[in-house]
Amino acid sequence: MLPIHLQARKNLMPRAAYIHVPFCSHRCGYCNFALVAGRLDLVPSYFEALQREFHSQLVEPREVDTLYFGGGTPSQLGAEGLARLAELATHWHPLAEGFEWTVETNPADMDAAVAQALGAAGVNRLSLGSQSFRPAKLELLERDHRAEDIQRSVELARQQGMAVSLDLIFATPGETLQQWLDDLRLAIGLEPEHISVYGLTFEKGTTYWGRRERGELESAEDELERDMYLAAIEELAAAGFEHYEVSNFARPGHRSRHNEAYWRGDEYYAAGPGAARYVAGVRETNHRSTTTYLKRVLAGESPVDEREQLTDESRARERLVFALRRLEGLRREDFAAATGFTIDELAAEAIQRFVEWKLLDDDGQRIRLSREGLLVSDAMWPEML
Amino acid sequence: MRSGSPCALAFWLGTAELGDKPVREPPPRPDLWPPASAATFMDPKYIRNFSIIAHIDHGKSTLADRLLEVTGTVSLREMKEQLLDDMDLERQRGITIKANSVSMRVKHEGQEYELNLIDTPGHVDFQYEVSRSLTCCEGALLLVDAFQGVEAQTVANAYNAIEHDLEIVPVLNKIDLTHARPDEVKEEIEHTLGLDATEAIGCSAKTGLNCDQVIKAVIDRIPPPTGDPKAPLQAMVFDSVYDEFRGAIIFVRVMNGTVKKGARIKFLQAGTEHDVVELGQKTPKRTAKPSLSAGQVGYMVCNIKSLGQVHIGDTVTVARGEQAKALPGYEEPKRMVFCGLYPSDGQDFETLREALGKLQVNDPSFVFEPETSDALGFGFRCGFLGLLHMEIVQQRLEQEADIDLVQTAPNVTYKIQKKDGEWLEVHTPTRVPEMGEIEEFQQPIVRVSFVMPAEYVGGIMKLCADRRGIFVRQEYLSPTRVMLVYDIALAEVVYDLHDKLKSTTKGYGTMDYELRGYEPGDLVRMDILVKNERVDALSIVCDRRDADTRGRAVIKKLKQEIPRHMFEVALQAAIGTRIIARETISAMRKNVTAKCYGGDISRKRKLWEKQKEGKKRMKSIGQVDIPQKAFLAVLETGEEEGGVKSR
Repeated sequence: MLPIHLQARKNLMPRAAYIHVPFCSHRCGYCNFALVAGRLDLVPSYFEALQREFHSQLVEPREVDTLYFGGGTPSQLGAEGLARLAELATHWHPLAEGFEWTVETNPADMDAAVAQALGAAGVNRLSLGSQSFRPAKLELLERDHRAEDIQRSVELARQQGMAVSLDLIFATPGETLQQWLDDLRLAIGLEPEHISVYGLTFEKGTTYWGRRERGELESAEDELERDMYLAAIEELAAAGFEHYEVSNFARPGHRSRHNEAYWRGDEYYAAGPGAARYVAGVRETNHRSTTTYLKRVLAGESPVDEREQLTDESRARERLVFALRRLEGLRREDFAAATGFTIDELAAEAIQRFVEWKLLDDDGQRIRLSREGLLVSDAMWPEML
Repeated sequence: MRSGSPCALAFWLGTAELGDKPVREPPPRPDLWPPASAATFMDPKYIRNFSIIAHIDHGKSTLADRLLEVTGTVSLREMKEQLLDDMDLERQRGITIKANSVSMRVKHEGQEYELNLIDTPGHVDFQYEVSRSLTCCEGALLLVDAFQGVEAQTVANAYNAIEHDLEIVPVLNKIDLTHARPDEVKEEIEHTLGLDATEAIGCSAKTGLNCDQVIKAVIDRIPPPTGDPKAPLQAMVFDSVYDEFRGAIIFVRVMNGTVKKGARIKFLQAGTEHDVVELGQKTPKRTAKPSLSAGQVGYMVCNIKSLGQVHIGDTVTVARGEQAKALPGYEEPKRMVFCGLYPSDGQDFETLREALGKLQVNDPSFVFEPETSDALGFGFRCGFLGLLHMEIVQQRLEQEADIDLVQTAPNVTYKIQKKDGEWLEVHTPTRVPEMGEIEEFQQPIVRVSFVMPAEYVGGIMKLCADRRGIFVRQEYLSPTRVMLVYDIALAEVVYDLHDKLKSTTKGYGTMDYELRGYEPGDLVRMDILVKNERVDALSIVCDRRDADTRGRAVIKKLKQEIPRHMFEVALQAAIGTRIIARETISAMRKNVTAKCYGGDISRKRKLWEKQKEGKKRMKSIGQVDIPQKAFLAVLETGEEEGGVKSR
């Protein structure tokens, strides 16, 4: 691997950066993200560790086009903490002209001071963990916000000139199609620039997993979940949102540029517990435990827990699969130029079969998922990797 | 005659040379036993040859160990549990697979005796080997657990011994247990076997209690062998094992005459001649001797490189001079159960062939030949003496060769007469001709003896009736224990009878069986079609009246085992062109990961790569991926037992 400064000269440096903020007031039953609940006492060490990690990873400031604060709940840091994080992050990652800077927030944390701090720092995109507008569903999901908080957060964001993205979860236990449509319409009514919809998944290690094992919770029927997903696609399209990735919908010109970098196979920096980076062909993930992360970094050790150097071919295959998750699909020409492999030498046989089964559309230049293909796409990827 | 197939030999020596070239010599053995003062032959009067017959777990190997200890053959220090069970597998399973022998010397009333214990396999799969071993004995210890009492194998083995005219000495083991019920067990022995159990010896093989009495009874009650040491050599081969350095180690009982080291001998059945490079007795280590004479039991080493050349039941005589007649009762090994073994990865075909060849050097009773399946590719059809034998061979394959295997459901050999009069022996269901061409369809029938507590008689009778068994007789071994005897198709036994017996009797029932012969049956070949393609490896032969039930059960099981695909998969069971059962696996409706951001990419890629590997291990029929487990779906019975399958 080339030293970072040499790569810079070759202009191969990542243009995106992700900062993980692990703090949450509590852990929601379905969530298996890297976080610590109720440990704001660790914030000072966290800043110290981030500073050190930036220093050792980056050596010198690295300009980026997109910056993303995810969590956890970045808004747990409060106005002051967010201002400090913003300063630290933009010191190490100065933003290029025309940047996109997203911060994930919990609607419950969003007040005028937080909005003010974000706006003043230059954040121009707010990703709201809204999930639902229905009180019973929010309670089941163990969320601590209410529908009014979502509305207030959107208004505050608007005042600061920030674009808004809403996250919504569907197929929660007992949810009906109509209830989901109501959530969707309420979200659309707030006129966000961007909406992400996620079918609820039961992840090992969450309390939801255990509750389902014990029969206390039931996952939605496949057929219902499919209908809900299809309904979302339809409703959002009708409201002028472009479906551009499996779970993501945007008004024209408002896609998440940061996330698109992931799917295109571009490289990105990352810092914080559990954060994943992709730099110089190497994928690394920091230790998921916040305390281990802090201990390691503060002791001058690397926080990296997993590291993987990809071969050119597996890089190309990975790009093929993740890029195909975008609805616009993949142009043969672009793929070959970016990877040095042609799509057909990697997966001609699988593609031909999927086209035959009407799961993929292929016009000779571009391949993309059909509607049916989109719904079962996870079963297609193993044959292309 | 030049011996050895080039293939086996090449494997064994690592060269392709043929002939009786001496094999690598082991280190010299200074411990010749007995001392040089031994006479040229042992007076048969002072020899006793006996075996121990018992049900599994009744303590046969433990008693053998104790006898070795009591006679001082093995000192306490050298004692390792169950000395006679040489093979690791035997130790693991606590069962005897190969026959074995050990010679003990003991002083009794001032006279030295040679006691040869011939340890016989206890399982029905090795019936022929057992019968050959028993021919080499004059008596047998009938060992019965003083708590468990008489079991199916006890009866089968005891009858076998009685048929061989052996003097039977009943011994009750575990007499020291609090729950021992010696009087009732004696009664069971008398009832079932018609033996006089009044003088049965109560002992504990574990503690050694009364084991000296057992030795005394062997000498006093078992008759000495007859036979003339000066007559022409006539010896029975009762087993052989393979030694990496010495080749075949042949176990023999000398019936008449004397065999000396260096002699040129002849196997009468095989027609081959060899030089005896070493002979001796096991004590229990192999101990060389200058000769073996009438009545004695021992081993011979003749530079034979494959056990395939040594036939159990064969007669050894001299190659020059006056030859003895062949001993009666010789048979070729009968393979009763067949299954297909396929490498999961087609690349492993040659490795599997080598591994099977290597196993066969040690165990010629197992056979294999290449076969091709549309579903499974290139593999082998393998024949075994029985189910246990099949399990043993598979286990050895897994232990000794690192090959991932797909096994097809076991089946028996059918005899089919075609309309044109031609008879076929069919080991593979797919080879069964179309029904229209069949004049007569025969299957092997076995006589099964069940022994169980009386309360389960009804359940077993129902089980046998369901399996179309023919009732033969019922006997009360004691007021609480019953023996039921039925004639049943071997296919039913292979299918699930043992599992059913165990579940019906809560584990207290035991069974044993012997082959009766072939009988015509109302049999059909049932095929399974996946997405309209016949999966040859899933075809089975079954009774016409069971076909619907079996067909439905197999299809239902397949529906569970085959994952959803991106298209609909039709499953059908058919007899000829008639569809008897049908199910559909509907197409996958939703399978898509919602969240896929920076940190998810590696994780997802790894997951999908793993799924890709998993797919590779499945077999593809048409475009349908069938997991290996599904090939055993044909063993499904379609009966529910409180929701839990005993298999």
